[in-house]
Amino acid sequence: MGYTIPIGPYHPSLEEPIHAKLYTEGELIKDAEVFIGYNHRGIEKLATEKNFIQTLALVERVCGICSHSHPFTYAMAIENIAQMEVPKRGQYIRVIMAELERLHSHYLWIGLACHLIGYDSLFMYVWDAREKVMDILEEISGNRVNYGMIIIGGSRRDINDEMRKKVLRMLDDLTEPHNRMKEIFLNDKTAALRTKNVGVLPKDVAERMGTIGPHARASGINVDVRKDAPYSCYDEFDFNIPVLNEGDVWARVVVRVLEIEESVKIIRQALENLPEGPINLGNKLPKVPAGEFTARHEAPRGQVSYYVVTDGGQTNYRISIHVPTFKTAPTVPYMLKNNTVADAGLIIASIDPCFSCLDR
Amino acid sequence: MQEFKSFDIKKDEIVPLAQKMKDKGYRLVMIHGYVDKEGNNVVNYQYEVGNCIESYKIVGENVLPSISHIYDLSAAWPEEELFELMGVQFEGLEMRGRLFLPDTMLEGQGHIIVTPLDELRKKTLREGE
Repeated sequence: MGYTIPIGPYHPSLEEPIHAKLYTEGELIKDAEVFIGYNHRGIEKLATEKNFIQTLALVERVCGICSHSHPFTYAMAIENIAQMEVPKRGQYIRVIMAELERLHSHYLWIGLACHLIGYDSLFMYVWDAREKVMDILEEISGNRVNYGMIIIGGSRRDINDEMRKKVLRMLDDLTEPHNRMKEIFLNDKTAALRTKNVGVLPKDVAERMGTIGPHARASGINVDVRKDAPYSCYDEFDFNIPVLNEGDVWARVVVRVLEIEESVKIIRQALENLPEGPINLGNKLPKVPAGEFTARHEAPRGQVSYYVVTDGGQTNYRISIHVPTFKTAPTVPYMLKNNTVADAGLIIASIDPCFSCLDR
Repeated sequence: MQEFKSFDIKKDEIVPLAQKMKDKGYRLVMIHGYVDKEGNNVVNYQYEVGNCIESYKIVGENVLPSISHIYDLSAAWPEEELFELMGVQFEGLEMRGRLFLPDTMLEGQGHIIVTPLDELRKKTLREGE
């Protein structure tokens, strides 16, 4: 005897709205469907009425967690159309912010995963570590989210020597809690029992569905825009791309834990070699000729791409935003099959969903 | 540095091109669309070839063949989105219903990119009354 169980759009284990229909037999999920679009705000349409500086503020509000990735990618597209050369120091500050954002985003999701498997003491511990990163982000930019650090042609705020030392000290403070949570995830039985062999996405299926980001890297696909198509100043840093082959929820947690270590490496290198010079090209409204460009950036969840078309006027003719959740959400029905209903919330959350990005 | 190349192609080249790209192992990044100033639909198939985005552009077609049998869901979702935003029909695409827009908007027609903003505002107001 089968039942259809609806999950969402509003559900305690989901921080954002998505609707999933589970077709079950007993405890087992036999088939599933996902429905999106509960957060659609028409940002792409609205952006065609705004000038280039207004659009920066607008696209920053596509998503609260990766709110640096969106203006970063958009600015790269406009700078490429207008043939602007961003000063080195500005690029370094952009990369430092992008990697700090990756730290806080990954800690956020690792914490949520702990909460969903019922390991609430670890959840508190991870979010305590995350709070250190949030404090630094607030000190640098003045805000915990929506940093406003990007302007066309560089960064808005500088990182002075005192701030540089503060960030380095924060990274030192992070080492101990980070190693402890890594130890727990690699060796602890409680965490392993709830996450190993749950929601498995094999490599061939992940390839067929075109998955990207940490979600793909947990399924054995080595894909990362920072290495595949270096942009800004990423080619000047030495870092690795962690790839795991298990493809289950455990691998998705561990791949993020390992990525945090690589991000810390990048931030350290960037802070130690921070070049002298201007951070931007001034804050005037840029003259952008007619053209088109697709810029890509590795956001915490995977590749963000902005396709921007300009017509030589003051506003965008069209911006089309493509976000990583657009490539990871279609894999959810596959992962839900043959798992128990009790794990459904964890599996849906395991793509590190960002539905406000997805719905735009 | 990232590069961008744009090519113009015809409607009947879409499926062979997608097959060729898939066989070479290139990723379909996204299918973007917009309406140009003459009112033609412009659809861009963007593939990731190393550090370059190769964008294949089709202008002025309202019915296109689907490539969802080649690229699976990474093509099916963008095609559904383009249908909702611009009203481009994809032959051979299995529609699951609405992706982004509410069923009530514009009497179930959607296509918000091609509808003027003031008209959309009126429609939404009417819905809320």
